Amino acid sequence: MRAETLKGHLDGLLLASLDAGPRHGYAIMEALRAGSGGQFDLPTGTIYPALRRLERAGLVHGTWAEDGRRRRVYELTAAGRRALTAERGTWRDFSAAVTALLEPAPRPVTP
Amino acid sequence: MTNGPRIDAWLRQVTAALPGPARARRDIVAELRSGMLDAADAHRRAGLPDAAAAAAATTEFGDPRQVAEAFRPELAARHARCVALTLIATGPPIGLLWAGAAAASHIAIRHAPPWDWAGAPPGSPAALPLAMAAIVVTAWAALLTVAATGRLARWLPGRPGLAPTTAAKSGSAAMAADMTIFALLAS
Repeated sequence: MRAETLKGHLDGLLLASLDAGPRHGYAIMEALRAGSGGQFDLPTGTIYPALRRLERAGLVHGTWAEDGRRRRVYELTAAGRRALTAERGTWRDFSAAVTALLEPAPRPVTP
Repeated sequence: MTNGPRIDAWLRQVTAALPGPARARRDIVAELRSGMLDAADAHRRAGLPDAAAAAAATTEFGDPRQVAEAFRPELAARHARCVALTLIATGPPIGLLWAGAAAASHIAIRHAPPWDWAGAPPGSPAALPLAMAAIVVTAWAALLTVAATGRLARWLPGRPGLAPTTAAKSGSAAMAADMTIFALLAS
């Protein structure tokens, strides 16, 4: 899938990838790739600026942790959790509307 | 496990293209480096030899100039925040020093109460409101910059250029205020 298609949803997907617990940048990328069945394959370098943006907005909190290698680990803040919940609601409404419009109407079953 | 010249070269390209404060840049590059080493590890686990794994990691991360470009708004916001916080932190003490100096000189001269320190030299009645206006603009622009670059950012209209612009404005207004006060004292 092209990076442009993802653009408006990247923030929500990053927040969702931290829902289960703290993760570092590369683990977030792997979660996005695995979770989408390989559909989301955007350049890995682009998620780091996105994480910093979310951090400045107070939605995630990043700290350096040492576990064999020094990594910056991100976790959701309370505001981030609220934003994720809001994002999920918006997405449900939006995707239901788009599906209703894009999908062909079910044909009447012929007896 | 080596970094590989490919990874170092990629990181150097990002570093060269990143603007902003050195400390913030070092932090960003350190994070990219550790992520890229994780990527190289993953490619090695998938069966690639060292050099090929490092090359695959750089390819996976994308164009270094584009990655640096994406960090630009973050670094600009951080820089603007530093400028605004410095203004907020230094403005009041400097103002107090001015007032203190003026009061002290007048007490020494013993011919006027301290609040009359500006006296009534020619030209100053017009300059005083100007200084006040500049001080008000400075304070608001500095506060807005801190708000726009911090957690309040998501409640404000999303204009990436806002923070650096207001920081520049508050800086200019602070200079205007200083110049006006100098003119006041010199006249």
